[in-house]
Amino acid sequence: MATTVADLSELLKGIPAGAWVAISERQNKTLAYGVDAQAVFSEAQQKGEELPLMVRVPDQNMAMFL
Amino acid sequence: MAIATFPYVSVPLLANEAHPLGSMAHRPLAFATITASNGASTRCIVLPDSGADACLFPLSLAILMKLDVFKLPKGLTGGVGSNANTTYYDTITVDLGHGISFSVYAGFTQGMDQMGIGLLGQDGFFEYFRVEFLLSQRVFTIESA
Repeated sequence: MATTVADLSELLKGIPAGAWVAISERQNKTLAYGVDAQAVFSEAQQKGEELPLMVRVPDQNMAMFL
Repeated sequence: MAIATFPYVSVPLLANEAHPLGSMAHRPLAFATITASNGASTRCIVLPDSGADACLFPLSLAILMKLDVFKLPKGLTGGVGSNANTTYYDTITVDLGHGISFSVYAGFTQGMDQMGIGLLGQDGFFEYFRVEFLLSQRVFTIESA
């Protein structure tokens, strides 16, 4: 089975709704977060992660995707 | 021939009037490396979506990959709750790992920013891959067609 980040919800715990988050899959940890995806991505790269996983915390986690 | 099995991701949804105890969404999400025509890459979450005509990604990802979006060809896309979203197109590579990789003329639009994930739709994805969803087992499989 293809590998995935073990528990995304744990990594996103405490991060404000609407924030972009850069995650290191290798270290299984959050590297940076904020409203600007480009700034978050750059911060993660400056911390040594060449290809961070970019995820956005939903504004309201109550809506079903359609 | 490439084939890979991925686990569903379970996302708890908050309670609302229609679902007063909350609910759980089980989504067939995968993690992909996308590489733009300028050679820049990022990792993101993608959702195989048979209801999508094409492959679409958040505009924010195009920007962080330093694509000059105003020089990209434009079109319009729409979905539930929104229409006429300006969409900028680039030929990108999508790599899901395990030999599942493809090149696609994909759109980047602010309409996808709220979800923050990419959609893998009919054009460029389902035309080359067979996808089997086994929600009862919480896995889905992608196989080159």
